[in-house]
Amino acid sequence: MADSTRNALPLAVTVSGIGGQGIQLLSKTLALAATKAGRHAMLAADYGGEMRGGPSSTSFVIDDKPVNALPILEETDAIVLSHHKFSERAVERLLPGGVCMVNSSIVDQSVIPTGARVIEVPAADLAKKLGSPQTSGLILAAAFNSLYGLVDHETLVDAMRDLIPPYRQQAIPKNIEAMAVGRDAVAGHDLAGAPA
Amino acid sequence: MSAPSKQLPIVDSTTPPDGTVKVADPNPSLILGAHSLCPGCGEPVALRLLMESLQDLGIVDRSIGVVGHGCYGSFVRIMDIDVLQCLHGRAPSCATGIKRVRPDSVVFTLQGDGDMVNEGLQEVLHSAARAENITCILLNNGVFGDTGGQATATTVVGQRTKTSLDGRDPAKHGYPIPVSDLVASLDGSGYVARGHVGDPGGVTRTKKMIKEALQSQLDGNGLSLVEILTMCPTGWFVPAGEGPNYQQQSMEQTYPMGVLKRPGGAD
Amino acid sequence: MSEELELLEGTAAIAKSAIAAGMTFFAGYPMSPFTGLLESLSAMMPEAGGVCINAESEIEGVNMTLGAGAAGARAGTGSCGQGIALMQEAIAEAALNETPFVVFNLARGASDYFQCTKGGGWNDYRTITLAPKSVHEAVEHTQLAFHLADKYRAPAIVYGDPLMARTTVGINIKKLDFGDLPQKDWALDGSMSGTGKSRQVWTWAMGKVTDPGPEMDAHWRYIAEKFNTIDGIEQRHEELWCDDADTIVVAWGTGALFAEKAVSELRKAGHKVGIFRPITLWPFPGPALERVAEGKRVLVFEANAGQCLEDVYQWVPRRRVTFIGRVSVDHTGMNFGDIMDAPVVRQLILEHLDNQAATAGANQ
Repeated sequence: MADSTRNALPLAVTVSGIGGQGIQLLSKTLALAATKAGRHAMLAADYGGEMRGGPSSTSFVIDDKPVNALPILEETDAIVLSHHKFSERAVERLLPGGVCMVNSSIVDQSVIPTGARVIEVPAADLAKKLGSPQTSGLILAAAFNSLYGLVDHETLVDAMRDLIPPYRQQAIPKNIEAMAVGRDAVAGHDLAGAPA
Repeated sequence: MSAPSKQLPIVDSTTPPDGTVKVADPNPSLILGAHSLCPGCGEPVALRLLMESLQDLGIVDRSIGVVGHGCYGSFVRIMDIDVLQCLHGRAPSCATGIKRVRPDSVVFTLQGDGDMVNEGLQEVLHSAARAENITCILLNNGVFGDTGGQATATTVVGQRTKTSLDGRDPAKHGYPIPVSDLVASLDGSGYVARGHVGDPGGVTRTKKMIKEALQSQLDGNGLSLVEILTMCPTGWFVPAGEGPNYQQQSMEQTYPMGVLKRPGGAD
Repeated sequence: MSEELELLEGTAAIAKSAIAAGMTFFAGYPMSPFTGLLESLSAMMPEAGGVCINAESEIEGVNMTLGAGAAGARAGTGSCGQGIALMQEAIAEAALNETPFVVFNLARGASDYFQCTKGGGWNDYRTITLAPKSVHEAVEHTQLAFHLADKYRAPAIVYGDPLMARTTVGINIKKLDFGDLPQKDWALDGSMSGTGKSRQVWTWAMGKVTDPGPEMDAHWRYIAEKFNTIDGIEQRHEELWCDDADTIVVAWGTGALFAEKAVSELRKAGHKVGIFRPITLWPFPGPALERVAEGKRVLVFEANAGQCLEDVYQWVPRRRVTFIGRVSVDHTGMNFGDIMDAPVVRQLILEHLDNQAATAGANQ
């Protein structure tokens, strides 16, 4: 199987965590930002009845042509683990050598498949340090975007802004701070040949 | 014998008197034909009052009726009104849908106690709470007339029905629901009144209530409800002519007449 | 890029499409995953000049919708199968009193096939049911459902699931044109009140005493005949790779999406397999299936205990039909379980192909 650090789209990603970690917002922000940048995106969400604590995951595909993907992906180029709980399916389907971005403040790294290219982002700790623990998902979103160079950071911030509902507007300033922290958290990493 | 006192005037009876007022048209134009209900039934009287009220207010050409299920259901055949015959109990919901997409129309429901208070209690309460600008007319006779005289949620204590042969006993059958009081207690209702058609005074006052209720709808005051006690001698197992008396002794004792709520405060 | 894409979740895309179709009234009661449609319409309808009511119950929601439809508006309601169970009385009533509206069953799975196609209401009626396989198709079916509902004065159902409701895609929603429709001169607006020609919407169709209607026997025969006509005209299906196939997989809704992927891979591996997808679940495209499946094996894939299967049996001899679906629900009860996955579907099909090959070999 080819190295999944591809230099071409489509990019297939699964994000996995537990309800309340901002999994859905993280994923929507990336998908919307990609759309704003003129790309095509398909994002499938999988969550249950609980607002907090149950499994929450998404799968998305970003491409430069219309996406024709199933809402449940057979294999992925990258996964983002916000929690080790409920992560089995995401881990199973990561292509050999694929990118595994982990919320290293929380994730028990024994779940990470051997051979995966691990990118540690201590998102929960960084969010706590900002005094806004609910921003860990957006820290991961900004880190993932920065790692792959998917879109300008500003486009990502705009996408977040668009997605915050009227009853949560007060969260925006902290979200912006958090996204800057996420962007900088992967400064040392480089995915040679990642899609520009 | 004393001389006759002042001579009383003798009215000339050879020509019609001046200034006569026709109290009612024997063939109201909005009623297309004879009703098919039992002798002594109060429901056709209520229908007539409703039709006349629409005419008096000049709103016939924008009136839409929603009629539930009971004896009065057959009125959809004789009322010259655009009408939806809806499911049992659901008239306030259907009326909501109609009024929301045709806000300039005048929408009324015609429902019995079985329809409104049994099957559809939540519909009328929720519609009132939403302050829907519709007018609900409840024909309350305390029995299922259409199916032959079984108890409804408004059957009064002591009343004999086919499902309470020894009279409604709270220990066995619970208590009646005063739906108008419930509706009046909600902020979204604008006008609520209870009348009856058991005697000429009741008929006159009830017609005034119907007109006030429709006017309240025109003024956008939220849901208006007129509960009308209507005789059902067949379902009460009394002679046709005894309906008003029985009503007076039974239902009127439980459900007091009058305006319960009007815009700006009750009577 | 030729067109501006908007990134929309399935429910929001359906909401926009319904508004594009001219829907001006919607009433629903929250239930996941349908809830997203209610939330989207609550946000979008006021701006579009329409009304969206968060109804106090499914029964009230569907009856409000029936009222709005009877008044001539394009109206919609929706829920999941459980909530739509509560709406059955009103759906049947609308079929019988000829009130058009659209019901969105954004269900928890594929187990409402019987409910959609056979109904649970009273009397002789059917409900047109469109089963899109993707968000893009759901957007088209939304507008088609309004068209068919108006064309035939009957309720129509769009049947989706969590994979559709919660999948976000880039999409450009436009008003679609399905042709002209007759004027709704039957709609209640009050204008005929007092003219002696007032209108009536009534399941029993008895008319006014001065202008009697057909009455029940004739009206219900007419309704039955109308549904026969729809059955003859409105069947829709899709065939893929059927010509050279010796085995046809029947799948519908999002299940068909997974079956397509699995079959396309099996074909690359040399298996002669095709796909037949009913798009209208009612009317069921039986004659087309009969033609396509002539002399071939038929595998029925659906995530339930075998519901579409019964319709397939009407058109393909049972000895040639094998059911490869099953009940499959996740632990929340809200999503599909493990069956809705391309490798699983591929394996289910492959097992049967292998059995067949083995059987064929043994017979030689």
